[in-house]
Amino acid sequence: MNLRNPLLAGMLALVALVVGTAHADQLADIKKKGEIVVGVLGTDEPNSFVDPKTREIVGYDVDLAKAIAKKLGVKLTLKQLAVAARIPELEQGRVDLLAASLTHNKEREAKVDFSLTTFITGQKVIVRKDSNVTAVPQLAGKKVLTVKGGTQEPNLRKAVPTADVVTFETTGQAFVALQQGKGAGYVNDEVSILADYAKLGPAQKDFVILPENLSIEPLALGIRKGEPALKRVVDDTLRELEKSGEAEKLFFKWYGNDSKIKFHARPFKIESDKVDS
Amino acid sequence: MTPIFDLNLLLTGTYHDWLVAGLITSLSLTGISLALALPLAIVIALIRLSPVKLLQWSGFAFVEAIRNVPLLAHLLFWYFGAPELLPTALREWLYARNVEATSAIIALTLYTAAYMSEDVRSGIRSIPGQQFEAARALGFSFVASMRLVVLPQALRVTIPPLISQTLNLWKDTSIATVIGVAELMYQAAKVESATFRSFEAFAFASVCYLGMSLLITGAAGWYQGRFPVRTA
Repeated sequence: MNLRNPLLAGMLALVALVVGTAHADQLADIKKKGEIVVGVLGTDEPNSFVDPKTREIVGYDVDLAKAIAKKLGVKLTLKQLAVAARIPELEQGRVDLLAASLTHNKEREAKVDFSLTTFITGQKVIVRKDSNVTAVPQLAGKKVLTVKGGTQEPNLRKAVPTADVVTFETTGQAFVALQQGKGAGYVNDEVSILADYAKLGPAQKDFVILPENLSIEPLALGIRKGEPALKRVVDDTLRELEKSGEAEKLFFKWYGNDSKIKFHARPFKIESDKVDS
Repeated sequence: MTPIFDLNLLLTGTYHDWLVAGLITSLSLTGISLALALPLAIVIALIRLSPVKLLQWSGFAFVEAIRNVPLLAHLLFWYFGAPELLPTALREWLYARNVEATSAIIALTLYTAAYMSEDVRSGIRSIPGQQFEAARALGFSFVASMRLVVLPQALRVTIPPLISQTLNLWKDTSIATVIGVAELMYQAAKVESATFRSFEAFAFASVCYLGMSLLITGAAGWYQGRFPVRTA
């Protein structure tokens, strides 16, 4: 390599600098800064969304992030991310932690570390009644809408390889396109679909949520690879929330009877960071 | 161990097919939008130069309304907004087809035509007014004077800036990804989420954009050498 080119040499020095800082201990950095930057979606009710009254980002993911910031004794700064930008932003160090409806799967383990599983949901399809679709395989050859860069598109392709998938930047845009009749169905995590369905109001009669799960999605917080100290604090915080019953309270606050989701039971506990697939 | 840059991913297999399909879609968007925008641009330029005040004003309003709003807003409007205003039967007919690409082509055509019409208008204005007046004095109508005397000279002056607008159009097609058109950036993002090989996917897209852009720039250079502007 020819280093006589000053521009190239400068760029290499910059790359070395960036790579160098990325190797420092992140937990120590967070404490030194007095701030933890957490990446959230802000568009996915009830995990993280903008409260129309206060204009602030709230939700289940946000409350977990708050608990971790409190445990660390630092200020919490939320950063809103697009679904497809989550893992790249974490890898490049622009956020310290992801609390962004992030599915934990084996493929992603090569890229990021995951906390204990914080939620388990299935991925489902909501369809327009006028599409006459009553089961997932009938989506073959039909237009199905979802968000870019999540697990929704790969899961749908696995279930229905011939579906015509069209993806958007946010789940909200994909759902609007479904309401306008631009596709037969829309794929998302079950809890998000239930929240969207609740918002439809009288138009609910035109839509059906298909009963089958496309997949089971364990959601977790995302931590940059090779940061065991930060992962330990995050997991400890989650374990304490579970032990004190606070985690269950949070579950019912965002998914229980008073929410749009109306779950009556909590089918999981925050205890493991292992996934099956 | 996977290689640092997996060239095979780009040259064969499903991901290669996705990316090539994206490239073809991007090229089609450019081609169709250009074919529609060019005649539209000439019409708008003539409307702005016509002797009728009302026409002049409507041409001015069209160009400014379109140029002063970002392309992203145009795309979202033509996809999420405008079709909802159509009668139900027509809307359902459209939604059963490729409404994503249709909306993208409408937005790109209008946006490009607004810019191109200004270039065409400048070209026409660069031809000395006496030529137009002489043609009128010889009894040619407005349209005939334009068509036979002014436009043939004006378009020659206009070709280089029009090629430059074509270059912009080619790059602008990438914004169609936000309304779900499966063009090059859309497919690159899809390959990225399927493989986590961001570098390869976007390298492919960048090389395509750069290569095609250089070809268009080359065409502009060639044209200027082959058909230099003649001064009247």
